This record gives sequence, C-alpha cells and structure tokens, in this order.
Amino acid sequence: MSDATNVYITGMGAISSLGINVPSMFTALLENKSGVKHYPDWAKYNGLHSHVGGPAPEYDIMKVPRTARRTMSRMSEMSVLATLEAMGQADLQAGAKKSTPRIALCMGSTTGSPENLELYFKKLIERGGPEGQMGTTFFKVMNHSVVANVAAALEFKGPVFSPSSACATSAQAMILGWELLQSGLYDIVIAGGADELHYTSAAVFDIVMAASRNYNDSTQRSPRPFDIKRDGLVVAEGAAVVVMESESSMQKRGARPLARFDGGAYLCDASHMSQSSRPAMVEVMTMALERARRKSSEIGYVNAHATGTVQGDQEEAQAIGDVFGKQIPVSSLKGHFGHSLAACGTLEAIACVEMMRRDVLLPTRNLHEVDPACAHVFHLQEARKTSVRTIMSNNFAFGGMNTSVVLSFMGG
Amino acid sequence: MPASVDVVSKVNLLMHEGFEIPLEKLTPNATIFGDLGLDSLDAVDMLVNLEDKIGVKVEVERIKAVRTMQDIYDLVESLSTTPGMKTQLDQ
Repeated sequence: MSDATNVYITGMGAISSLGINVPSMFTALLENKSGVKHYPDWAKYNGLHSHVGGPAPEYDIMKVPRTARRTMSRMSEMSVLATLEAMGQADLQAGAKKSTPRIALCMGSTTGSPENLELYFKKLIERGGPEGQMGTTFFKVMNHSVVANVAAALEFKGPVFSPSSACATSAQAMILGWELLQSGLYDIVIAGGADELHYTSAAVFDIVMAASRNYNDSTQRSPRPFDIKRDGLVVAEGAAVVVMESESSMQKRGARPLARFDGGAYLCDASHMSQSSRPAMVEVMTMALERARRKSSEIGYVNAHATGTVQGDQEEAQAIGDVFGKQIPVSSLKGHFGHSLAACGTLEAIACVEMMRRDVLLPTRNLHEVDPACAHVFHLQEARKTSVRTIMSNNFAFGGMNTSVVLSFMGG
Repeated sequence: MPASVDVVSKVNLLMHEGFEIPLEKLTPNATIFGDLGLDSLDAVDMLVNLEDKIGVKVEVERIKAVRTMQDIYDLVESLSTTPGMKTQLDQ
C-alpha cells in the first residue's frame, strides 16, 4: 500500500462503563475493574430475567448549549463528549464558520434512543394519538440522531452519515472511514458509535436467551467470555469516537499519529439473524488481513468480540483458532465493559491502541476456567507486559454482520 | 382579569426549569422569541409543559398568538378560571 493511502488515528474519545474519558477508562482496565452493576428495579418488567447492566458514570453535558442539548438523549450526549475528547487530542477545532466538505462525520447507533422511544409510544397509545407529544422527542429517536446531534453541537457543516449495524456499528463506521479516506475524497473522517443503557436493550437479548441472568446477585462475575460458566452478555452503554486521517492531511496539519488503521472488512453471512457462524468469521478476518496487507503471522494479539454468550464465544474461538492457531494471545474486554452495542467496535479499537502504546495486553475478565469448546486459542487470563505492534479486533452483530479491523503501532 | 401571583410564579418556574431561562429575565414584557430566545420547537414543548405541569390545555392557535410573558400569564389565567376546568393551580 502506498504512503498516500495510509490512514492514521490521530484522536480518540470515549465514555464507557469504566470512565468518562479514555485515560480513566484505560486505568480502570489496567486495574481489572468491572463496569457492571445490579439493576434490581428491572425485576418489575414481566419476562425480563437479566437485571445487570453497565452504565456510564455521571458526566457533565452542560457546556453544550441548551438548543443543541434539548434534542439529545444519553447516547447523543455521550457522543458529543467523546467527539470533543477525540477532536481535542487530534487538535481539531469545533465550530467551523464554513462548510468542511473534506471532513466527514460517520457515527451510528443500534436504534434511536430506547428510553425516548418508550416514552413516545407509551404516550401515543395512552392518548390514542400524537396529542401531548413534545416537539423535541422525535429528534432523539431518529436512526441518525447521534450523528445529527453531534453535528449540531459542534456546528459541523460537512458531510454526515450514520451507519447502523447493531453491535458492529462503530467498527463498520471506522472501516467505512478507512475506505473513504483511501478514496481520496476526504482528508479526515470522525468515526464511532454509541448506545444508551435501557431495559429494553437488555430485553432484546434476554428474549433470545443471550443475556446473562444467573449473576444478578453477583454482578461483577458476569459477563464471562469464553468461561465454562458463562450465561450470556451484559448490556452496557457508552460512546466511542476516533479521528481518522490520511497521511497527507496529518502531515499538513502537523498532527501526531496514535496508531495506523491498516484496514478492515465487513461481510454479511446472510444465513441467520442471530446465530454466529465460524466460517463467516474466518472469512471476514481473512479478508481484513488481505485488505490490510498483513499476514496472520504479523498479528500479535486478537481482541475478540466475545460477549459471553454460549454459542457466539464458541464460534469465535474456533474461528480465531482457524486463522491464527493457538499461539497468538486472545482476550475479550466485554468482561470489563459489558457489551456497549454500537459503541463497542470503536471502544475496543481505542483500548487496543492504548494496549500497543503502553506495551501491555489486557486479559479477559471473569475467564477462570476456559470452556473446552473455546479452547482453540491462547486465552489471556492475566495482563501481560509485552510489546505488540499489530492487532486485530473483531466485532459481530445480529443480522449476520461481521467485521474485523487491523491496527498497528509505529512506536514513539 | 390580571394574572394571579400563583399563575405568574408557576409559569415562571416552568420556563426556568424547562428552558433554563434565568428567573430575573422572566419579566412580563420579555418577548418569548426575542428576549428569551425560544423558537418553534420550544413553543411546542412549552405547550406540552403547560398541560403536563400546570394542567391547562392550550389550543395551538392560541399559543401562536403569544408574544410576551404577560401573554402567557393571561392565557393561563383565563384557562384556569374557565368554568369546569380543574387545573393544578387549584391543588
């Protein structure tokens, strides 16, 4: 790949169950903390068995003007703050006076705000029509609410679009960003995703028996990716954003690269809406390596999507084993964060960049006894001080959405 | 009929909490869309808040005619004294 098409990450921002910015998040990861909490109140919802979730800590959104804030749900608020953090690190200014056609915003969420969707339809049904609906509610529940609210808050006048592929959303946003930068049509793509914690999000997985339900009284023991006692995922919230930039733009601005985005791939396995597929995972990882012009032997660590579900973890462990064998360290960070849905792809990519920058690989939290069905890879069960230069990160989603990205650290 | 002290204080509280307008700016002559900086989206939310928090049901056509805070006080006062209409001002 020529230098002209190299893409770098020059800024990172995140709010997650482990902190309101990237430094606090990574400190919590190094301390092996869990962001999962008990939601005893969820017991009142008929048929909901999972009463655990990963909320973000309290954050301050009041610096955003009211006219921008009034149409935001939590996912948009967190996205604005994560974007500001990423832009700050990249030394990009918000509030452009004119349009910026060569900078794109590419962010999405699984759905519009679940909290406000519930409020909207509850009132609609109670009143038999739209009487009494707030004028600002719809702008919290649009499919592109996150990116539209970020643009409004930042006074961003450039191209804006909103990919949405559930738990693969922000991974797909980054890969789209990489493709756009490679096309030469853009200099910078600000990419990411967000979702907010709500019982209806937990219910989605609970209904199909994919949410953790046996650890309601011992929340920090779940989720348990790859562990013999895993019983499902724990829904979390957050927003994660990266500034992706072409090499020429970076040099022109004098920006500092944090990592290189070598490439990525997204493929739909088009066979089942909810079940993971080992061959499809192998295919997307292989394609990501090809697009990144990397060999499997060059990858020093694989950050697994593994959410703690019985079937998904098994398929992924086997797929990673098929591609990389049993020598390369593998871990999932869902045991720390929970599953932040549309945010997790970028959130985990940021964690991967920090791991490379700090010469440490993080383990899978709550992985005490590896399930024999997941024993196809080398599982990291404790942190390891080691220098890794190239990492693969996987994310998979309902709808057969499979993604894989490759990131490199150049030192410095 | 001039608006009661209760109506003025409840409307002011609604505007302060709903739209983050400092209480000192909420004077009778303050214009809603000029001095206080609200827009059409806010007007819809104000209408909903008047119903949900004060208990007066305001027709859209009447809210369109509102220009100043005094207009809102008068509107709420007239609706809350309409025979048969029980509002949260009575509670």
